[in-house]
Amino acid sequence: MSATTDTGDRVREFGAAVADGWTRERFGLLGAIGLILMAFGPSFQIYLFTDFLVVALFALGFNLLYGYTGLLSFGHGLFYAGGAYGIAVVLRDLTPVFADVVGAGVAPLVAFVVGGVVGLTLVVAVAVPVGWLSVRLEEIYFALITLAFGMLGYSLIIQDPAGLTNGTDGIIVLLGSVDLGGLSFRIGARRTYYVLTVAVVLAATYGTWRVVNSPFGTVCKAIRESPDRAAALGIDVRHHRWMTFIISAAIVGIAGVLRAGLASVASPGLTHWSTSAIAVIATVIGGATYFSGPIVGAFIFLYIRWAISRFPTLEAYWELFFGALLIGVVLYFKQGAVGGLLLARDRLLGDGADDAGGTEADSTDDSRSDDARTDRGDDS
Amino acid sequence: MTTVLKTEDLRKQFGELTAVDGVSIEVDDSEITSIIGPNGAGKTTFYNLLTGVLQPTAGSIWLRSGDAAVVGDGDAAGGDGRAGGDGGLRDITDAEPHEVAQAGLSRSYQITNIFEGLTVRENVRVARISHEKTRLDFRSRATGDEALEADIEELLELTGLTDIADTKCDTLSHGEKRTVEIALALAIEPNVFLMDEPTAGMNPTEVTEIVSLIRELDADLDATFVVTEHNMDVVTDISDRIVVLAEGAILADGTPEDVLTDDRVTEAYLGSDSV
Repeated sequence: MSATTDTGDRVREFGAAVADGWTRERFGLLGAIGLILMAFGPSFQIYLFTDFLVVALFALGFNLLYGYTGLLSFGHGLFYAGGAYGIAVVLRDLTPVFADVVGAGVAPLVAFVVGGVVGLTLVVAVAVPVGWLSVRLEEIYFALITLAFGMLGYSLIIQDPAGLTNGTDGIIVLLGSVDLGGLSFRIGARRTYYVLTVAVVLAATYGTWRVVNSPFGTVCKAIRESPDRAAALGIDVRHHRWMTFIISAAIVGIAGVLRAGLASVASPGLTHWSTSAIAVIATVIGGATYFSGPIVGAFIFLYIRWAISRFPTLEAYWELFFGALLIGVVLYFKQGAVGGLLLARDRLLGDGADDAGGTEADSTDDSRSDDARTDRGDDS
Repeated sequence: MTTVLKTEDLRKQFGELTAVDGVSIEVDDSEITSIIGPNGAGKTTFYNLLTGVLQPTAGSIWLRSGDAAVVGDGDAAGGDGRAGGDGGLRDITDAEPHEVAQAGLSRSYQITNIFEGLTVRENVRVARISHEKTRLDFRSRATGDEALEADIEELLELTGLTDIADTKCDTLSHGEKRTVEIALALAIEPNVFLMDEPTAGMNPTEVTEIVSLIRELDADLDATFVVTEHNMDVVTDISDRIVVLAEGAILADGTPEDVLTDDRVTEAYLGSDSV
């Protein structure tokens, strides 16, 4: 008997030592190496990982409003599409103009950057009035009005009254080749686009993290906890929600810009409610109360979908798996995968390890949640 | 002797029901005023009118405001403010809750209303951020302002919450949560502090503690305390003045001795059939 406890203790000690070694710097270094190695991986894996990064940013932006401010939007696809269409229109209509101005060599790069900025500007321009109207409502009514705005965008893109969006077909996005004297590359090449996405997503994630940990973000959390208490302390709740809405939409817009380049098309489906739902599902699976929740959720979402797609007989039913997964998470795993991981870590190592990677969660006793399937680390 | 809060013929009608029926009251900064009354007397509605949660059907509300920059509809404050003859009072009748709070009126809630998912320190930090008007600052770190952190520390010490500062509020005891409630309301440095049943749901020990805390705070701070309370021992203990509401109107108003020996008050509380 004593031998077992001895071994147990030793394992625990070892685990604690390893956990102590995982400082933020090491994580950062390891992450950087991982990201670089990834660039030499098989082409499809690069595509899948890039896809994950884009969806992660999409969900992260969505969660600023949901997990941090307490407003469930069902229409963030509108801003995803906004970013995508912004860059798509610029690339389609203005690339020849840029070619005339700056020369054909750099024109694709200039068009891409300008397109990104235009996409982002477009999203903010849409989010300002849409947010202003939406934050007048709360809870389910907020979810419904954002859903309505999303579907309004869907109809407008399909009807195409201004002749800009090319209806149901969407706009083909051609990123083109850059030629700078000796150096030439294709922006849309898997590896190039992967590196570009990593840079943008990391920067946007850091920006979001700063927002969340700023005075602004602190007030967001207070509003999530109790809007009327926040108001009684002098906080203009509606205005604050509006500002959060705009920032959240802008982050989603950046993801939308990246999505257009990755998918090589800006299609109306991006603003369909089923796309908005991806952000919701990824966030709920990952854990809305953690900063890293949406990222881990997006990882699980995309990689499980990929795993399923390897079995052609199952592929037609992939949504069924997510339905089941979602039911499981909602019923037994209220803190999502990240909550489960932290719980598992605490269980394995005792309470010694410090708070990782995110903000707080409700540490209300989630005692009986099992920790199978959560062994996938958030090393991404 | 300065009036810090004043209502004039304040009225609130819910359909047929008159919840607050022409209440005129002046609160002085030198005293702790208690507002008492049987259930349904209109105390909570009265508080909700004062704090801008409800809009009055008629009447007006005036607040002495240290901060001239804020307050509801500027026009109302401008014209009528001077017409009232009392230079320092501002009309907050039409102000929204956050404007009322910015103008210097803070409140605590009968049913504990704090940021449960945050720690005690974070709770107070939110209030200080609001007070310092840095809520839209998304570039700096929330914990990076040393002056702000010092203010938070001071307030935690004042309210005796230092030991549990980094505990999440949903794990606190009821009494501790009630104290956080008070700390939050004080953090915005109000001129007037409306306490809605500070001892609600507390055990006798906690009641004693909170009463001595209120006493201390009243002595230490500039804020004027207005308290509603069901616990009569607490009322007589802390009040300099008691206002009795019954059926939405003021039934009695005076020192504790005068009011509690008033036959009409006894009748309102116990019914005419009782002793």
